[in-house]
Amino acid sequence: MATAARPPSLRLGQQDLKCRRGCGYYGTPQNDGLCSKCFRDRNDKQRKMLKAGDMQPIIGGSSHGPASFSAGGTLERRSPQHFLVRDTPKKQVDKEPDTTSMLQKKKFTAVLQKTLQAGAQKIAQQRGYVPDPTESQFVKQLQKLRIPDDGKRKLKSEIQRLDNEIRKYMNSHSSKNIDELSDTVQNTYTKVADIVHNDPRFEIATNEDRESAIDFFEKVVMTQNHKFLFSPYFTTDEESDMMVQKRIRQLSWITSKHLDCSIDEVNAEARDLVYNAISELVGIDSYYSPQEKLQCTVRCCRHIFDLLKRATGGPASADDFLPALIFVVLKANPVRLHSNINFVTRFTNASRVMSGEGGYYFTNLCSAIAFIENLNGESLGISKEEFDALMQPDAGLQSFSSPWESALMACESLHLISENMKQMEKLQRKNADISSGIASFEKELIEFQREVTERVDTVMAKAPLTLLPIKTPAFLIGQARSQLLQDMHEGEAGHYQANVLSGSQSLTVHSGMVKTAVAAEESGLALKDTSISSIGRLSPLPNLQQPDNLFASPIFNYAAFDAVSLLEEPSSGGCVDVLMLGAELQGGLTNINYDFDLSDQSGENSTAEESKLNLDEFDPLAQPQPQPCGAPAAVEPETSLINTTTDSLIDSDVPGTCVSLPSPLKPEVANYRGFSNFEIPSISCNTGDFSSLGHDVGTTEKPK
Amino acid sequence: MATTPRSGGAGSGTAQRPNGTSQNKSCQFKLVLLGESAVGKSSLVLRFVKGQFHEYQESTIGAAFLTQTICIEDTVVKFEIWDTAGQERYHSLAPMYYRGAQAAIVVYDIQNQDSFQRAKTWVKELHKQASPNIVIALAGNKADLSNIRVVEFDEAKQYAEENGLLFMETSAKTGMNVNDIFLAIAKKLPKNDGANNQGGSIRPNGNETNRPTNNCCK
Repeated sequence: MATAARPPSLRLGQQDLKCRRGCGYYGTPQNDGLCSKCFRDRNDKQRKMLKAGDMQPIIGGSSHGPASFSAGGTLERRSPQHFLVRDTPKKQVDKEPDTTSMLQKKKFTAVLQKTLQAGAQKIAQQRGYVPDPTESQFVKQLQKLRIPDDGKRKLKSEIQRLDNEIRKYMNSHSSKNIDELSDTVQNTYTKVADIVHNDPRFEIATNEDRESAIDFFEKVVMTQNHKFLFSPYFTTDEESDMMVQKRIRQLSWITSKHLDCSIDEVNAEARDLVYNAISELVGIDSYYSPQEKLQCTVRCCRHIFDLLKRATGGPASADDFLPALIFVVLKANPVRLHSNINFVTRFTNASRVMSGEGGYYFTNLCSAIAFIENLNGESLGISKEEFDALMQPDAGLQSFSSPWESALMACESLHLISENMKQMEKLQRKNADISSGIASFEKELIEFQREVTERVDTVMAKAPLTLLPIKTPAFLIGQARSQLLQDMHEGEAGHYQANVLSGSQSLTVHSGMVKTAVAAEESGLALKDTSISSIGRLSPLPNLQQPDNLFASPIFNYAAFDAVSLLEEPSSGGCVDVLMLGAELQGGLTNINYDFDLSDQSGENSTAEESKLNLDEFDPLAQPQPQPCGAPAAVEPETSLINTTTDSLIDSDVPGTCVSLPSPLKPEVANYRGFSNFEIPSISCNTGDFSSLGHDVGTTEKPK
Repeated sequence: MATTPRSGGAGSGTAQRPNGTSQNKSCQFKLVLLGESAVGKSSLVLRFVKGQFHEYQESTIGAAFLTQTICIEDTVVKFEIWDTAGQERYHSLAPMYYRGAQAAIVVYDIQNQDSFQRAKTWVKELHKQASPNIVIALAGNKADLSNIRVVEFDEAKQYAEENGLLFMETSAKTGMNVNDIFLAIAKKLPKNDGANNQGGSIRPNGNETNRPTNNCCK
């Protein structure tokens, strides 16, 4: 609650732990952030207020009166306990349920609520009654005790009597003395022991059962009254706790050597055992009954004996044991040490701390604390000056003089080192993974590159960009030429020329004009005729080619492809012939280089050579080229060619004459050369060069 | 004398009671061992309780707190033996241990004069601070090394008689007089049927108003 008022922060300061009233002592959340004294003072006040006010609703338990709610959080929390008190049959035995005792009961049962969570308490409020786990546990235990029922009843009533007595004493307004209370309790123990041992009701019980009955008596009373009897506000227990805690903190530099004990601080096994002992020692505070605290002490000491047995090789004597215990206490610095010790000495059966194993170890613990409190240089075997120097605050911090500290430090550092090593190893592994991954990736890349190049090579090899001369069978060339000639003669050569014209016209009107002019020069009438005839007869062709030609040159090439594919299929109509020729023309045009050369050659006017070349290497398209170029000499070889292939010409006359019929030979021709030449290389090369060719043609023609 | 070793186990707070079958009386005594360190206190106890010397059983966790039951005549006597740290620096803590003890054995080493002097101071202190009718025994240990003794038998004997102590020279190594000294103590201890008057406030730092005068039980 104290913390709830503050803004949340990451760290709990010393102030947060202190009592809210600022008295300097530590508060606990159970006490609403107050220390035990302030808490009790406040409760006393509240109780007085309640007493003055209307008590009826609380006593009757009929409802939560406004008083119980207004009394504050703690009382509100306790109110469900009130029902418990009323409902528990055990409590009904109460002979005189006067207001004080009821309130006291409420208070003492609240002690047992420590175990209950706040949420559970809320539920308890809603339902009105929830059996206390501790309470019911005790009832069960009582039933389990192997003593006669009469004895049980007697024991129960004795428990209640002592319970009442304690709470009456705690709530009385006279000055309180813990020794008085302790004597009361001890006398009751004696009385109970006497009853258990001598009362006829316990006659048939065995000694063991009698002992357990006495133990049970003590345990119940002490657990239920722990809150009042443990470190009561009218004692100086809290101050002593603080003092011894501070003292032990100051003595943190003490080593096993100082104490002349045989604990090997550096040995890991020994350290583990020391930790076991320490945890038991610290655990003493967590038990409610003195018996359990004693048992915890015994466990702690057994650990120490275990430790010493390993160190010395035989059963340890007190000469070894006490220093070891002191060492453990110093290293553990248990909380509320004095409160615990005093609680046990005051409120356990005196015989328990006077005899028995528990008593012996408890005495040792008390001795150890007494020794620590009265410690000086002499008792540690060092000079007074040295002791004083070591007792200076921070002396132990500045220099890790004690092997224990340094061992812990070293341990911590070693741990850190090993952790780091592990981390480094992990990183190294990762790094190796990454680098190997990189290497493999690199390899893959190389492989991929190699593969790609290989594939490209194979593809290249399969379809090389070899500008193979178009090998046209001689008879075909002859056929073609003869056909051409025939066409020309028959006025049908116009198809071809018209094609050329349409192609070139679209590209460069100028050159086309020139061409036409040239064509007119060459064979004026025929050309005109062809143009007319082509338009008249081959209407589909211009239609087909014209849109292509309108566009840029590449499309023209595509058109050429189309033409080829069209050729492959036995296309119908007389246009096939023309198409074929067009394709041939274009194919011829695609072969830029030699077209260039050809044009160059033609420019040189080496007609004789040209004709030879044409025959051997170049397709008949070479012919059209010179033709538009307008070299007059070109006509002569043609004629000669025609002469040579007159026989074949007759054969080819058939397609020539009947244009509508597809010539069976022509697809072959297309197949033969078309694919190797047309497929890949022609596309890009053709276009640019074709256009350039066109220009060339144009430019070359222009000067003329 | 038949001894029935019963070691370990925490002694219960109150005395054992006859279970109706046995008519033997049963007493429990708290016996505290005092003496300088390394005089052989725990060896003496181990010899008495376990019959051991240097051959420790695995079960023996420590020699600081041991119990042993012996029979004297018709009485079962259970000794609860509390060892104390002998070092000088822990001397001041001794009262906590011998408070409520019915018997004490002050041990010294016959080879060590200092230990004998320390024993004397223990005896003085016990007389002054311990319960008035505490039975004190003086044990000169390591009697097997009597050839190199420093403390003469007669000297110690005389001192014991002057102070009303039981005296024996013992040897935990050979077992000489070990059982005898415990038996002698048991015999000397009052075994009457006193009531359970152990109840009293015993606080480590508190006053010692309630000293059990008679701890023997039925």
